[in-house]
Amino acid sequence: MTTSLTDCVLALYEEHHELEEYQSGMPRWCNGCGDNAILTAVQRLCRDAELRPEKTVFVSGIGCSSRFPHYMKTYGFHSIHGRALPIAEGVKLARPDLHVFVNTGDGDCCSIGAAHWIHAIRYNMNMTVILHDNQIYGLTKKQASPTSPLGTRSNTTPRGSYLEALNPLTVTLGVQNVSFVAQVVDWIPDLVFDVLSAAYRHQGFSFVRVIQRCPEFQPGLHEIAMREPNRVQVLTHPRGLQLDPSLERVYKNRLEHDPSDLSRARDIASSTDAIPVGILYWNPEVPRYEQIRAPSQLRTPDKIRAGLEAELDKYTIWPDGPTATT
Amino acid sequence: MLKQLECSRAIAEVIARCRPEVVCAYPITPQTHIVEGLSELVRDGTLAPCEYINVESETSALSVALGASAAGARAYTATASQGLLHMAEVVYNVSGLGLPVVMTLGNRAVGAPINIWNDHSDAMALKDAGWIQLFARDAQEAVDLHVLAFRLAEELSCPVMVCVDGFVLTHSVEPLDVPAQDDVDAFLPPYRPVQVLDPTDPVSIGAMVGPEAFTEVRYLAHHKQLQALERIPQLAADFRARFGRDSGALLHGYRTGDADTIVVAMGSVTGTIEVAIDELRDAGLAVGAVALCAFRPFPLAALAGALGGAQRVVVVERNLAPGLGGAMASNVRMALRGQPIPVYTAIAGLGGRPVTRASLRRLIEAAHADAVDDLTFVDLDNDAIDRELARWDERRRSGPSAENMLRDARRAR
Repeated sequence: MTTSLTDCVLALYEEHHELEEYQSGMPRWCNGCGDNAILTAVQRLCRDAELRPEKTVFVSGIGCSSRFPHYMKTYGFHSIHGRALPIAEGVKLARPDLHVFVNTGDGDCCSIGAAHWIHAIRYNMNMTVILHDNQIYGLTKKQASPTSPLGTRSNTTPRGSYLEALNPLTVTLGVQNVSFVAQVVDWIPDLVFDVLSAAYRHQGFSFVRVIQRCPEFQPGLHEIAMREPNRVQVLTHPRGLQLDPSLERVYKNRLEHDPSDLSRARDIASSTDAIPVGILYWNPEVPRYEQIRAPSQLRTPDKIRAGLEAELDKYTIWPDGPTATT
Repeated sequence: MLKQLECSRAIAEVIARCRPEVVCAYPITPQTHIVEGLSELVRDGTLAPCEYINVESETSALSVALGASAAGARAYTATASQGLLHMAEVVYNVSGLGLPVVMTLGNRAVGAPINIWNDHSDAMALKDAGWIQLFARDAQEAVDLHVLAFRLAEELSCPVMVCVDGFVLTHSVEPLDVPAQDDVDAFLPPYRPVQVLDPTDPVSIGAMVGPEAFTEVRYLAHHKQLQALERIPQLAADFRARFGRDSGALLHGYRTGDADTIVVAMGSVTGTIEVAIDELRDAGLAVGAVALCAFRPFPLAALAGALGGAQRVVVVERNLAPGLGGAMASNVRMALRGQPIPVYTAIAGLGGRPVTRASLRRLIEAAHADAVDDLTFVDLDNDAIDRELARWDERRRSGPSAENMLRDARRAR
């Protein structure tokens, strides 16, 4: 039996990948590391959204979380410390057809790469950015990061860190052109999946901070929040996240929040009463860099020729002297 | 007094005894233990007064040190590999502004591919940034060089980079003597900056200099290096007189007197080379070694003197200058200009590959018989390279070489 090329192409489009087909290698993260929860949710997202492995790329910087691309059977780029975002921008510019994901940690994004973070929000390119925030430098074995809570004792802050933790949500929400900001905690896997799915669906720069556990270097940091579900405040809205009934029984601290309300999103992000979880801000109207820079007219051969002629005519020397051209 | 210590811890302790007033810390393997050690010493009051600051990147680490030094403080930081390259612009600025910052470089390979192990690519990348570069042979010299570095830096108003092989030295644990506080104080006088913030004599730092004076200002950086050529042997003699050991020099010669073949190297590999030299001497070969301690300034005259009697020189270097060979060998040839002495380049130990005594013996024996190429790669797996080159030839889209070579190496195992 022979198969036509068209049949092959059609078969390709119907191709559905199983979870295993997105999995690559055995993660080298510590037991109980929140990165594992994110990996599982992302692989599930890839399967359910039917992302083609060859159309998907994960770009990371340096740090524990930046090993992420090695564990996805897609394109991956384990790059330079702090540079995940601009490298992802380059990938997106060259290959706008790819689904671009960025895995960056609190060191990679909020410390050494902070300048890129601000400008990536402003460009608003279509990519899904996951901030793996374990509130410590793990790969270099326990030094305070910018998001470490005040008083964190670490190898470079033996008396406890002196500065209030940086809040990645308020920072992101404060930048011009912000279009999607969400937060989730690694110990509610269904929500990790739901939030990442919404982030993926957003056309623009979606920023998801995942508060994650580091049992090795920040043991017990989220113990209370895990034991007392009311310490987590779930943001729900018909245009945002809707909680699964099974989770409603556990997470009773809920807040109806319209994700188009930037001012309220900032208030919620600043609040220290509970950990807000869900979509804080979503504005699909913010123009994307790709849209702004896309040519407004089709570059037909005629238009290109007319433009070239106009340019070359500038250098024409008219036989009657310069006055004839004025 | 000898104590069993990790070299990084001993460096932290000796830095504390040099009394820096500002320490800027940003972790990067394999230097991290040094700044962690310093943080403990600041916490327990051993190092006081001192401002210890955790910054957000290497560029910030050296920028903060630059600001502190410009404002008259003794400033210190440490880094490695990508960290040094990240701060590269500031590295040039510190020397251009004549600020005596001391920095430890835990020598490590530079990616891509990502590699955390030892070689000298990082130091070589910034060898011409106007800093004095001193390379430690062993853990004890790594400790001692810091005391010397602060004195040299401050005398000349020129920054000093103390290069310490990552892991091989930084993480070695052995009996080490950390110079006592009284001795350090006697050797290293309080910092007297050439420029301070003084309202009675206000200055602006960071002038824009055009073609009318730029060359002359830059020449001064060279002038300081020439001064360092004179001062390093004198300070090493002072150090020996006070501390009773040979640490710091322009270079250390080993059995070079009647040697026909002399091996030149830097850093921890010189220890292995000396053992290989002993074995070859026992076998009747007239061979010797030179360990360069100062790479910048490059001791042209001292090296020419040490190598003058040799019939050939082998430069073993832990860096690769693609398109040339080795960064060190070209400098060594400069020292031997006009002399008909062949200089062989041997690239060894990149990305932490062990440089073994057996490999060195083979290399030196071959060189002694003039049976090596001008440029040779020690323990290079030529078959693995041929297989990858074949993949390149086979198809344009052959994929990232690093990943291909790793897969190939796994298959070969």
